[in-house]
Amino acid sequence: MLNGITIGQYFPGDSLLHRMDPRVKLVLTFVYIFAVFIPQNWLGLALAVGFLVFSVAVSRLPVKLVLKSVKPIIPLIILTSALNIFYVSEGVHLFDWGFIHITTQGLVTAAFIAIRILSLIAGSSLLTYTTSPTTLTDALERLMKPLKVFHLNVHELAMMMTIALRFIPTLVEETDKIMSAQKARGADMESGGLMQRVRALIPILIPLFVSSFRRAYELATAMECRCYRGGEGRTRMKQLHMNARDGACIAVMAALTAGLFALNFIVPAAL
Amino acid sequence: MDDIITARDVRFVYDNGEQEPGTAAEPVLVLDGVSLAVRQGEFLALLGHNGSGKSTLAKHFNAMLLPTGGQVLVRDMDTADEEKKYEIRRTVGMVFQNPDNQLVSTIVEEDVAFGPENLGIEPAEIRRRVDDALKTVGMYEYRTHAPHKLSGGQKQRVAIAGILAMQPDCLVLDEPTAMLDPRGRREVLDTVSWLNRERGMTVVLITHYMEEAARAGRVVVMDDGKIRMEGTPREVFSQVEALRAIELDVPQPTELCFALRRRGVPLPEGILTPEECAEAIALLMEEPPCR
Amino acid sequence: MPVIEARNITYTYSPGTPFQMDAMTDVSFAAEQGDFVGVIGHTGSGKSTLVQHLNGLLRPSSGQVLLNGSDIWAEPKKIRAVRFRVGLVFQYPEHQLFEETVYKDIAFGPKNMELPEGEIDARVRRAAAFVGLKPELLEKSPFELSGGEKRRAAIAGVMAMQPEVLILDEPTAGLDPRGRDMILEQIRAYQQENGTTVLLVSHSMEDIARVAGRVLVMNRGRVAMYDETPAVFSRARELAEIGLTVPAVTKVFMLLRDKGYAVGDNVYTVEQAAGRLLPLLKKGGGADA
Repeated sequence: MLNGITIGQYFPGDSLLHRMDPRVKLVLTFVYIFAVFIPQNWLGLALAVGFLVFSVAVSRLPVKLVLKSVKPIIPLIILTSALNIFYVSEGVHLFDWGFIHITTQGLVTAAFIAIRILSLIAGSSLLTYTTSPTTLTDALERLMKPLKVFHLNVHELAMMMTIALRFIPTLVEETDKIMSAQKARGADMESGGLMQRVRALIPILIPLFVSSFRRAYELATAMECRCYRGGEGRTRMKQLHMNARDGACIAVMAALTAGLFALNFIVPAAL
Repeated sequence: MDDIITARDVRFVYDNGEQEPGTAAEPVLVLDGVSLAVRQGEFLALLGHNGSGKSTLAKHFNAMLLPTGGQVLVRDMDTADEEKKYEIRRTVGMVFQNPDNQLVSTIVEEDVAFGPENLGIEPAEIRRRVDDALKTVGMYEYRTHAPHKLSGGQKQRVAIAGILAMQPDCLVLDEPTAMLDPRGRREVLDTVSWLNRERGMTVVLITHYMEEAARAGRVVVMDDGKIRMEGTPREVFSQVEALRAIELDVPQPTELCFALRRRGVPLPEGILTPEECAEAIALLMEEPPCR
Repeated sequence: MPVIEARNITYTYSPGTPFQMDAMTDVSFAAEQGDFVGVIGHTGSGKSTLVQHLNGLLRPSSGQVLLNGSDIWAEPKKIRAVRFRVGLVFQYPEHQLFEETVYKDIAFGPKNMELPEGEIDARVRRAAAFVGLKPELLEKSPFELSGGEKRRAAIAGVMAMQPEVLILDEPTAGLDPRGRDMILEQIRAYQQENGTTVLLVSHSMEDIARVAGRVLVMNRGRVAMYDETPAVFSRARELAEIGLTVPAVTKVFMLLRDKGYAVGDNVYTVEQAAGRLLPLLKKGGGADA
């Protein structure tokens, strides 16, 4: 029953997006998230969405996959849209009922914000779809290296993330096994009230904790035997290199951002 | 100097200090004066059952544990010398029982790189060592796989590659097959035997399986924190009764020959494999083969 | 009537997805009251999938599991009751221990059965005695026990349910010879005293040869052989083809037969082998015992 859980929704491939330096990809994704909030007019927004569509095409990921990534936030979009539609009172009134006013301006704002949120989510899902969790952790570690000045141990955080990613599938499998073993002893996990169900988790959680501690202990021993002593003096097999391709991507993103700003001055605002 | 590891009269007292009052908290003598030398290029099996002290002894070989009394030398480094700790661990690599709990990374090749990365080796050199180590254990095609999708035997081979990439002089394996199925056990043992034979790797294999110890060049039997027997597999396994006294198994062919010898059949001692056994029995048959 | 029977059961993983795969295909077998069945096969041969069907942890995609002649899935809501009657000890069962004391842990199954307090107490003590746990250990935390004791406490937890069928999935995995012999001996004693039907899943032909009266060989999700132990071991060559290692003495006999000696077959323990060979061999003076 736990087999449905997948961690990191990485889809291997060798598109331009897959091959980009993960650090560049990470930063550019953040830039894009901000960029979708720049446009104040339809043309700008269309440009931002167009860029997203273009990126999806370049990534060669199935469109269905990208659409699936926005599914969980649809309730949020409906909520914010409803708020905008009902509470913005400027513009031509199309419908009035008590305190509820539907105006043209309200509809425009709602649509604008919905499109922004959708692009933001779809854009960031592109990052996780085209970058393996390990690579992402690696990129984060390298990007955050300067934070060492503030005594933030970036290496340890990254190591923790790597180990967590490594052990999640193992622990999911283990949970499954413990659940089966307790069910075989007649543990009832499907019926009863809330308290009863919570109590039914004890026979699963305790063995899981015990086993996690045992694993942690054994892993620590194995790591020590492999001469692990923190990030100090450590090298990495995989070096990240930025190349012309990454430069080009940065240039494109810069152009997009600049263009979106410029359009705000040229084209009349829709909001 | 021919010895990689030298243990001199090693005593180890396990003091489970922070126990609740009332429970047995007496210090336990786990190793009671063990002296042993591991020779360059040999395949040594350390045999004994759980609690015999064999794993504790192994942990002394790479400074994971320090002797309470006596001394352990790796090459000419004393394991008690804190400054030599990492050099000792690089020299004596260790593989453990549970293959899951010694792999660190989500990708096979990155896991194998973990050791050399800790040693601060140049990236290009790490790449070379990782590829070489993975080819050696026959896991090169799996280099981009996720460890949790591999079989037990494959995981254990990746763990061995992770140690080989540190280019150790000696490989210590602490019950590496105890959690594997027969196929996985064979994979791991074949890999280890091959490393010893073809690459001259010094191997210390800790096990309680007789058939595994039979592959070694020298067997050391431990019980109750002491070394009880030592010799070639033939020498050790001929002492059927002594092994039985400490509740260790004897390979079935050896046991069969022993049983027959007791009943007056003049079979030679030191028979280990079914092939040798059949050969020896055939020589003593009353009737010639009907062929 | 067999106590437990599998009738043409097939189990398909993730049906209707690209990952669809048959873990088990058309498996049928039956065990009578008091049978001791060894189940052997490679990892992935379907043996673990099979045993999880017998106590209703898995539901067959097609086919039936019969317990005393009635389909265990006749009333899916009552499947929990089936698990009390078909006890399953998982691999590394010590990983399921969770209670404060060994006593409470062994009592977990009987408590779930909603038995009266006195009955639970009697069962816990009986089960603990069967696996050789001293009464003073019952009040200890299970996490204070040694590895072998933990394993035995966990097995007692299933025995205490007094199931009609007791299934053990590799109960000796990872144990040393001493721990292994002890557990096999206790299971055999339990089976003989209670007349329970026992299924023992193992990778070790030697273990199975020692305790099982019948052997079920699984290969690639199907039943490859199911017969009395001597009959199965007499097909040593077929077993070897599946990639299962036969006991070393069985191999000695195979080699002798290859050399043309009429030593017979279906030998799988040292005692049998010695008995069979003794009349055929020349005696000399060189006895060393």
